[in-house]
Amino acid sequence: MNAADIRTPRRVMGLYDKPMWESVDQKAMKLQRCTRCGSFQYPPGPGCPACLCMELEWVPVSGRATILSWVVFHRQYLPAYPAPYNSIAVRLEEGPIMISNLEGEKPSGSWIGERVRLVYVTMPDGVVLPRFELDR
Amino acid sequence: MTSAAAPKQAGAGRHPNPRIRRAAAVVGIGHTDWVGDWKRTRAGEKPTDSLGYGMGAFVNALADSGIERSMIDGLIVGPTTAYERLAELLGINPRWGDQADAVLSVLQAVQAIESGFADVVALVYGNDQRSVGTQYGGPDAMGGNAFLSYVYHAPWGLTSQGALYALTLQAYKHAHGFTERELGEVAVAQRAWSSMNPNAIMRERITVDDYMASRYVCEPLHLFDYCLINDGGVALIIAEASIAKRIGKKPPVYIEAAGRSDLNHGATSLEPRLTDFYLPAQQAVAQQVFDLAGMGPKDMDVFQVYDSFSVHVPLALEGYGYCAVGEAGKFLRESGVGPGGKLPTNTSGGHLSETYMQGWAHQIECVRQVRGECGERQVENCRNVHYSSDVAGKAVSIVYSR
Repeated sequence: MNAADIRTPRRVMGLYDKPMWESVDQKAMKLQRCTRCGSFQYPPGPGCPACLCMELEWVPVSGRATILSWVVFHRQYLPAYPAPYNSIAVRLEEGPIMISNLEGEKPSGSWIGERVRLVYVTMPDGVVLPRFELDR
Repeated sequence: MTSAAAPKQAGAGRHPNPRIRRAAAVVGIGHTDWVGDWKRTRAGEKPTDSLGYGMGAFVNALADSGIERSMIDGLIVGPTTAYERLAELLGINPRWGDQADAVLSVLQAVQAIESGFADVVALVYGNDQRSVGTQYGGPDAMGGNAFLSYVYHAPWGLTSQGALYALTLQAYKHAHGFTERELGEVAVAQRAWSSMNPNAIMRERITVDDYMASRYVCEPLHLFDYCLINDGGVALIIAEASIAKRIGKKPPVYIEAAGRSDLNHGATSLEPRLTDFYLPAQQAVAQQVFDLAGMGPKDMDVFQVYDSFSVHVPLALEGYGYCAVGEAGKFLRESGVGPGGKLPTNTSGGHLSETYMQGWAHQIECVRQVRGECGERQVENCRNVHYSSDVAGKAVSIVYSR
């Protein structure tokens, strides 16, 4: 199989996910911010869960985040992810939690609390994924 | 409840109307041949389908109850079978019917009975998940239509239910200094219970060293932390309390109390699992069920926990007040949840070692312990059993009593 034939696992692409993924393709990820209370949300949606305001605006994220948890898969489930590989949960500076992967150098002990910054990785099939690397 | 003390977590300080207490009782339980069907499906055979497993379990529950099929006027089927087709096969035209998961089926049966929609309700579950190769991970994961978190993170390889609980465990270890050896006590204890259960699929005893030597699937979770995937069915018959006393062949097992509390804020990006460890929801439900029952954790003779992964057990021990928050590791090591331990937990072996019936088999183990039918693994003088389910931050709990 050519590398380009290995598909990135399908992205959920609802009405409100599309603008986010377009911003990722442009390597300037945006999330929705509530025009009334200023809350950010992830994943994107039709209105603000904090105050029920339906007027949201797309705003670029800073890319700064902190690791909340991490795992290492020792089994392959998906063609695009041969084992071992990691997944991380990060708290974005804007507030929401996001699931992603840690690229590059790994912390030696616990990963929790490590500061990370957003990077864009192009998968073999051309899909651009927002990932993170250590911010040191 | 005073307004000054208004709780933030749903259901804290409120419990269901006391009328539901002992309003309904279990009069019959049944299940299929999990051990035999495990061997048959592993050999490539297809004993039956989900409907057939449900039907077989229902036949056994009916025989256990001693009642006539014609007395059943309510029906709840599990999420894995179509309501109409299973009802057609069971030959039941109820005056009330619904579809729900294990723990909510019991709550709905109580609600239907208490409000007079039905007097005798059959609860029927069948699942051929092993023989059809049901996927619990990946972009098409089972349940993804109901829980966006099951599929949303697939582009980053975060697939499988185990991964969600591995993330929880990693954060929980960090927050409380909990260790993998302490988690291993759960799988070891449940295997000690299942070694005494002829209905259990995995019966070979293991040690904490065996656990530590087992491979990681999604680190920090080991193989022994994962539930089985097997075919089978479970059924219960629940009747209005006075009817239960009259019609049942065996002493009724009462539904003493029940409650629910949700954590939905940030659920898709796993916030309730990663920062709260389900704790506020479980504490709110503990207050509901224990207040309603007029009992506390010390009155519970057996604890049954929905254990798709072993991680549920330490979280539930803390959430329901069986130990202090942050001390589940010490409790598992020093007090114990296995045979001879302070709090017998998942006495059938649970999802890890008996059978993965998505919470349904836990209900019949509750009934069996209260009835005193558990043979070698019977907990002496068992009067009250507490069941906890916290799937995806929806904490639901039942107390079963004599």
